[in-house]
Amino acid sequence: MIVQKKSFMLLAVCLLFISIIIGGCSGMQSKTTADIPKYPNKPITLIVPFSAGGGADLLARALEKSAPKYLGQPLLVVNKPGATGTIGWNELAASNPDGYTLAISTVELIVQPLYGPTRYHYPTALDPILQISTSSWVMIVSADQPWQNVADVIQYGKDHPGELKFGHFGIGSLGHVVGETVAHVTGIPLQQVPFRGSSESTAALLGNHIDIAFANPLSVKEHIKNGTLRALAVSSDRRLIDPVLGQIPTFKEQGLDIVSNNWFGVVAPKDLPPEVKATLVKGFKAMMSDPEFKSNMDKFGVQIEYLDGKELETKWLNDTVTLTKAVEETGIINLIKDQKK
Amino acid sequence: MEILNLLLQGFSISILPSNLAACTIGVLIGTLVGILPGIDTISTIALLLPFSYGMDSTAALIMFSGIYYGSKYGGSTTSILLNVPGEAAAVVTCLDGYPMAQKGRGGAALTVAALGSFVAGTIGVIGLTLFAPPLAQAALAFGPPEYFSLALVGLIILTKLAGTSMLKSTLMATIGVMLGTIGLDSMSGISRFTFGIDELNRGFDLSILAMGIFGIGEILTVLTESKDQSTIPSLRFRDLYPSREECRRSILPIFRGGMVGFLVGLLPGPAATISSFVSYALEKRCSKNPDQFGHGAIEGVAGPESANNSAISATMIPLLTLGLPFCGGTAILLSGFMIHGITPGPTLITQQPDLFWGLIASMYIGNILLLIINLPLISIFVQLLKTPLHILMPLVAVLTLTGAYSINNSVLDLFWIVFFGVIGFFLRQTNFEPAPLLIGIIVGPELERGLIQGLIISNGSIWGLFTRPLSGTILTLGVIFILYNITRSFRKFAHLGKEMNS
Repeated sequence: MIVQKKSFMLLAVCLLFISIIIGGCSGMQSKTTADIPKYPNKPITLIVPFSAGGGADLLARALEKSAPKYLGQPLLVVNKPGATGTIGWNELAASNPDGYTLAISTVELIVQPLYGPTRYHYPTALDPILQISTSSWVMIVSADQPWQNVADVIQYGKDHPGELKFGHFGIGSLGHVVGETVAHVTGIPLQQVPFRGSSESTAALLGNHIDIAFANPLSVKEHIKNGTLRALAVSSDRRLIDPVLGQIPTFKEQGLDIVSNNWFGVVAPKDLPPEVKATLVKGFKAMMSDPEFKSNMDKFGVQIEYLDGKELETKWLNDTVTLTKAVEETGIINLIKDQKK
Repeated sequence: MEILNLLLQGFSISILPSNLAACTIGVLIGTLVGILPGIDTISTIALLLPFSYGMDSTAALIMFSGIYYGSKYGGSTTSILLNVPGEAAAVVTCLDGYPMAQKGRGGAALTVAALGSFVAGTIGVIGLTLFAPPLAQAALAFGPPEYFSLALVGLIILTKLAGTSMLKSTLMATIGVMLGTIGLDSMSGISRFTFGIDELNRGFDLSILAMGIFGIGEILTVLTESKDQSTIPSLRFRDLYPSREECRRSILPIFRGGMVGFLVGLLPGPAATISSFVSYALEKRCSKNPDQFGHGAIEGVAGPESANNSAISATMIPLLTLGLPFCGGTAILLSGFMIHGITPGPTLITQQPDLFWGLIASMYIGNILLLIINLPLISIFVQLLKTPLHILMPLVAVLTLTGAYSINNSVLDLFWIVFFGVIGFFLRQTNFEPAPLLIGIIVGPELERGLIQGLIISNGSIWGLFTRPLSGTILTLGVIFILYNITRSFRKFAHLGKEMNS
């Protein structure tokens, strides 16, 4: 009898657990049309096409934190990692344009299609809602190295050809593109070493296994502050607004024409009803001026920078042109295409 | 002495009612995550992040860390009782834990696992308290060439010791390495063996494979066997606790496991799972009667279950002192930290000593709480075995599938877990041991990455991998191990030949 009771208890606990999880996931399957009055009337799913712990995930979590206050409904953050974002964006492109499925967009959205066709064709399948923040990449070296600026590195590279190795967070990633661009613009040979993300390349740099790394500011900020790593340049067109990262000079200041930015925004499937889009823009825009959200973004080392959907779309197209040029000039596109054969 | 003061200060923070409550909730959830097969630590923490937004940041971090290290306590429960691992790190525990349960020593195995987890977890936290910054620096000395050497030697040694038949183990490990190549390769940027299926780009998640081959595979096996349940001996109360003999045999493995796990935890990769394999291999090596392994040797439960707990404490070291997450679990912890405005890194200890030491002190408390929670649970879980398997196993299957979905929120993963379940079923039927397959899929990608990165770093010269001091030492040890084994097997043959002649 007791055993039976226990197994029923177990069954009840299991069912409860399953129903909670299914309930949590139900936002994705919803196919209701937008003509139900007053959008949003249920939680909105926000796809993060990267795994937990990265910049896109952190932005989504910060939005999740303030969503109930400004959108009237919670955001459900769902990580759909894999294939540098492609899986998550594919899913977004295939979802209903009812405003209940959104995704975080990063610059990888336009980078990945450069290397081969993706299922989402962003100019026709995706609708940019707004840009929330921008970030860029920093060139870092170990504090043990004598180099104080990019010129020192170039000089060393000229004196010791073939010796310098730089780490980045994946072949074809923006860290790779920026690194190869530095090599291309300065004419010194830099050997690339691919890693699986900024934290691994930072660890290799700290252990002096590589000489240079291109990383996102977030993962190296504490080390720059602590003096264990030295940042030589930042790839944005202006200096970052941050007490620590703001001291890093841009490539432009050092006479090198290298500009590469990352941007974070929210995208929806194409053909979102205008009133839904307006509600979303209004809600997200209000969130961007929330003091807590602002202080979070400061800590993450990203700059809040609003662009509306139209401007963001223009940016996509412009960046595609510059990035296409960059991956062609540096030979990255050939490197990847050769291997695909 | 200074550390003791700081730690005491940390205790004064961690015993504040709100922090103590957070710690208790954390370890409770962690235990549940560990026990429920398929439910994954990373997705649980991600799911719970929103609930922590209203919490004080120290309390939230204590809670998330509690979930993280707590999840390694319960993982052994279903491994031992049902042969279904609660998570990837408890796969090894099945090898000897389940045979023990079949002999009626399930309670003893669970008790040893809980005690071992506690002792090793505490060893890990002590290591974290005393040596965190220097150990983090030492871990950085390991670069890609060293990872390559470790992976190569590890693959050979672990494969040999995790199975009984060398040939079958090698075959399984090779298939594992091959499975590990599926997906988008970060070294070349191309998709390998994905056949145009986008979702395959992610590669196979370790948990999906482990849950499929071991969990679903076992459920299928049970379903097809008309095993009479009365074969499991009824349990008397004193059977719940290990005998004096079992205790004696467990002490050394627990401490060895604790040490090994701690060292493995400092390096990148799924440390808890790797450490449990390493500890199992080590125990088999150290044991006077290695033939018992696989048939219910208590050392095979005590060692690995201890190792995965101290590994978990050690993975906190790179996270807290360098701000670098070396595995998926600490990556989601980093997210949790950041969202509460805490940036872990080299300045954390000096700039936020209250938080750092409070968190560490909470880990001591959490380990004690886990022991208090887990010991009474053992008698309840052992009773669960009285539930008819045709009720219990479908429930476990549902849980496993639910957990599998939650890892990547992917429906395709559900197909894979069933697919690997069927594979696991056939492997069992044909007496292939699937543990080396798991070793292959964990170590294979590390081996490949280490080789490629190492070769680039040494300018394309393979000798660069051998001449670096650390890397060379590891490889030499590996060669010695292999030579030792070859001479031993030769001697065996010679011995056999003599017997035949006489």
